[in-house]
Amino acid sequence: MLSNTIKNELKRIFGDGNVSFAKEELLCYAYDATNTPHLPDAVVFPSGPDEIALILKMANSEGFPVIPRGAGTGFSGGSIPVKGGVVLSFERMKRILEIDTDNLVAVVEPGVVTWDLQQAVEKSGLFYPPDPSSLKMSTIGGNIAECAGGPRAIKYGVTRDYVLGLEVVLPTGEIINTGVRTAKGVVGYDLTRLMVGSEGTLGVITKATLRLLPLPEETVTMLALFNDLKDAAKATAAIIRAKVVPSTLEIVDSVSMKCVEEYANVGLPKAGALLLIEVDGNSEAVRKEAEAVAGVCLDNGAIDFRTARDKNEVKDLWKARRAISASLFRAKPNKINEDIVVPRSRIPDLVEGIKDISEKYSVLIASFGHAGDGNIHVNVMYDKKDAAEAKGANDAVVEIFKLTLALGGTISGEHGVGTAKMKYLEMELGQQAIEGMKKIKAALDPKGILNPGKIFPEASKDTAPSGAFAN
Amino acid sequence: MKRLELLRDEIDKCVRCGTCRSTCPATKVLGVETASPRGRVSLVDAYSRGEIGLTELYLKHLKDCTLCGACRSNCPNGVDTVAIFAAARAEAIEKKGVPLAASLVFRNLKDSGKGIMGLGLKLAGKLQGLLFKDSAAGIGLLSRFSLPLVGSGRLVPPLAATFFLDLPEVMAASGIEAKSGRPKVAFYSGCGINYLMPGLGVKSLEVIKKAGAEVSVPQGQVCCGMPAYAMGDLKAAREMALKNLEELERTDADFIATSCATCGHGLKHLMPDLLSDEPGLKARAEKVASKVRDISELLIHELGFKKGSSEGEKRIVTYHDPCHLGRAQNLREEPRDIIKISGNATLKEMKNPCLCCGLGGGLMYNNYELSMDIARIKAENIRNSGAEIVATACPGCMIQLRDGLHRFGVSAKVKHVIELL
Repeated sequence: MLSNTIKNELKRIFGDGNVSFAKEELLCYAYDATNTPHLPDAVVFPSGPDEIALILKMANSEGFPVIPRGAGTGFSGGSIPVKGGVVLSFERMKRILEIDTDNLVAVVEPGVVTWDLQQAVEKSGLFYPPDPSSLKMSTIGGNIAECAGGPRAIKYGVTRDYVLGLEVVLPTGEIINTGVRTAKGVVGYDLTRLMVGSEGTLGVITKATLRLLPLPEETVTMLALFNDLKDAAKATAAIIRAKVVPSTLEIVDSVSMKCVEEYANVGLPKAGALLLIEVDGNSEAVRKEAEAVAGVCLDNGAIDFRTARDKNEVKDLWKARRAISASLFRAKPNKINEDIVVPRSRIPDLVEGIKDISEKYSVLIASFGHAGDGNIHVNVMYDKKDAAEAKGANDAVVEIFKLTLALGGTISGEHGVGTAKMKYLEMELGQQAIEGMKKIKAALDPKGILNPGKIFPEASKDTAPSGAFAN
Repeated sequence: MKRLELLRDEIDKCVRCGTCRSTCPATKVLGVETASPRGRVSLVDAYSRGEIGLTELYLKHLKDCTLCGACRSNCPNGVDTVAIFAAARAEAIEKKGVPLAASLVFRNLKDSGKGIMGLGLKLAGKLQGLLFKDSAAGIGLLSRFSLPLVGSGRLVPPLAATFFLDLPEVMAASGIEAKSGRPKVAFYSGCGINYLMPGLGVKSLEVIKKAGAEVSVPQGQVCCGMPAYAMGDLKAAREMALKNLEELERTDADFIATSCATCGHGLKHLMPDLLSDEPGLKARAEKVASKVRDISELLIHELGFKKGSSEGEKRIVTYHDPCHLGRAQNLREEPRDIIKISGNATLKEMKNPCLCCGLGGGLMYNNYELSMDIARIKAENIRNSGAEIVATACPGCMIQLRDGLHRFGVSAKVKHVIELL
């Protein structure tokens, strides 16, 4: 609970229309896409770093949590105020400050919706590649904080690869600039990379300098159908071996296909699995690559292969692809949504292993995702009202993580740890690495006021940066 | 219609993914989570669990919504958001009562313009010059000063000197014997055409006749109930539905045609839904509803209409999809086909033609400023299309578009698609 003094101070800093303590508004800032809500005590809408510096200083002296929030579409609980406190909503800091066509750089406020930035730079023939499925609603600030990925990662990398520099308010209230707006820069520690993917626990991003690319001349979108998920996985590996680097290489299993077709109604054919493949670049190269992809797919068990005829078909396919995650609830009321990554060549092994786990625990597992970079969204479906099934789902997840790590992978490619994966952190990192990370957190946020209760499991609260909010 | 307590499963289906944030016109304008469909569902969820009451703030967020249905159409999980919001509004009205101004209007829209309301409106028609002046462009009336519900400088359509249902030729067409073999069409005008745009009604009758059908105008028709439904006054809406059912059953027509997207949706879907509480009524309502056609649907699919009369210079026309026609009735191509066969228009699509105009869900009444901010996006899209004419298929959208285009200085003229014929 915030004292009246703090409330009055928040009103003074942000102005009446930019602060709310009303339950009818706090309820809307309690959740993200994990649907595990916790009410904050206040929500504020900052307009710049100075206000944020003031609130962070006050949070340190008065001892209340501050939680940065973009659009609240994360899959790991990163923006949920699990210990109450003040939500900093960036919904009103959404200006594109600069698009520098000479140096291929954009400077934006954190609340800019990723899609809006992409549309804006495309008008100048430029390209901001990171494309998380939430891109039409999620924000650049949230994308940076979580290091969002997306289908294009196979060719273009992820958000981290496009962040040149940041303006950040440190948890103790100092406003700093990290990084550069040039192609190179090695002065001092790389604080930019430290901030990217730090899940809003190390600093509040208030401005970002982003790298842009020239917009590819042409993109060809293709669809290959297979009888079996394993065939599709093998074809994926074969495409990579053929030295083609598609801009998208997505795999979708039959459960996902069925659910999303019910929603999107785009005429997805019935099959055991599909690959959604795109190649982009200059026209001639694209034509050659598309031919190569078709050949590899057909040689590797594709039962059908099509090329999208026009923009509407492409739009439909992407609408369907991006809606898979949410549409899976048509199959079961609850799901555990994981985003494991394995080395690309091990995808067929992963697919086989998941099939075994699904049978062993009698749970429905829907798999889809970025086969091209080894990042598969494994959705363990269950009904929480069925206790046995819920337990089976949880056990299956642990086994999937063990398999992933055994194959040389990681338990989260792009969603982050947040609250959703904290209990599995040690499986991948080990205690020493976790301790090292906590030292960084403690150095920057000695009182633990910034987005507490995330990443590091509560069990080790003795050594956590702050016990203030552990309850 | 399902009451809120019966929508528990529907509310629980929302998994807070946030896809709706990118589709909602109110979210686009206000930019905050409380103005998003996901936020509204969360608030209704909290209300239905007793966590919040019927507070001013809750009701404000509930009403800052055009009920356009874009969130529902784009929801990956198929949540019927419109049903949730409508039920929540109905619950609020049930507990708190209907606002006075709205209750007076609905009480009177239950008759067909022949009763007290009719007299009042007719008198208002004579007196409107005292309160309003003609707009320079001659497309409506500008209020001379702020009036209840009407801000100064706001463009409103003038009340017709003679209402559609009172026109001699319309009264004469109240029950026409069909000539052998020709399809019989009963024309349902709706309030927009009856009180404000009788010319559009007359044009509709002409076009239907030209397309080879006999047409009659049932005189006992009343408001379709959609405005009352949007406000949450289901009692008034149900009374209207029952009156329309009884009147339209008597017509013995093959089709019931309307030139209003909202009325079409109201008669096809809302009427049977409101009357579904009585098994006998439900079957009757569904039978009547199955005969209802939007005029573009009637012309293209039922009457095989091929070509318009005018062969003038081709004008650039863009089309605005009314929410109640595109999303609610899945009629997107038919009105565009009318534009194409008119013979004097070149169709040029605007960006996001199915974005709500901002009028719906009572928003123009509940929050005129937000309604106009949504209209601003529409107006800019129309401006950027370069079209001389924006055609649509709903008198409500036409009123809103005229007000919006006038306010934001866009010169395109607003027409109903059949006015191009």
